[in-house]
Amino acid sequence: MNDFKINEICPTTTFNKLKEGILLVDVREKDEVGKLSFDVPNIINIPMSELETRYNEIPKNKDIVMVCTVGERSLLATGFLIKNGYDVNKVTNMKLGLVRWVERGFSTKGDTLNIEVKKSSCCG
Amino acid sequence: MKSVKVLGPGCTKCKNLEKNVRDAVAKLTGNYKVEKIEDFQEMAKYGLLSSPGLVIDEKLISAGKVQSVEELVELLK
Repeated sequence: MNDFKINEICPTTTFNKLKEGILLVDVREKDEVGKLSFDVPNIINIPMSELETRYNEIPKNKDIVMVCTVGERSLLATGFLIKNGYDVNKVTNMKLGLVRWVERGFSTKGDTLNIEVKKSSCCG
Repeated sequence: MKSVKVLGPGCTKCKNLEKNVRDAVAKLTGNYKVEKIEDFQEMAKYGLLSSPGLVIDEKLISAGKVQSVEELVELLK
């Protein structure tokens, strides 16, 4: 059954938790990350298109925050991890994504003028 | 009653799968409850990575695929 709630936090809470040693997992595709990325110490990139085969690279014993552009793909990725054995209390989605992260003025690498809003993984 | 859910935010493929599901159900006898789920929080709980998703009796059958009416009739029998 799916009687669980996927935890979500905003970019500001995510930023504040960085000092606690959380790991960000960016599920955007490599071309998107190449243009603009989160400038944080603990982050890995596993694109949605590779997540099914690479999710084991994500440690189960750390607090994980899943991120993408607007928080929809990362929400699906968070659900996928929980369905595949990750603790619902250790895997969290960052809602509103990189777009809100940039709006809040948090650090990035790349050109924020060209931020590409790519909503969800719908239809490939 | 068999529960059938189409998971998708409203793109063309999602709409096509919903239509095909409803057409398939119309060809079948028996009780079916067809629902379209567009809420990402609800969708995510099924563990799909791409939409549309097809859920039959709470089990995720496929993700990112639009089955034909004929295929769905077989799946839903």
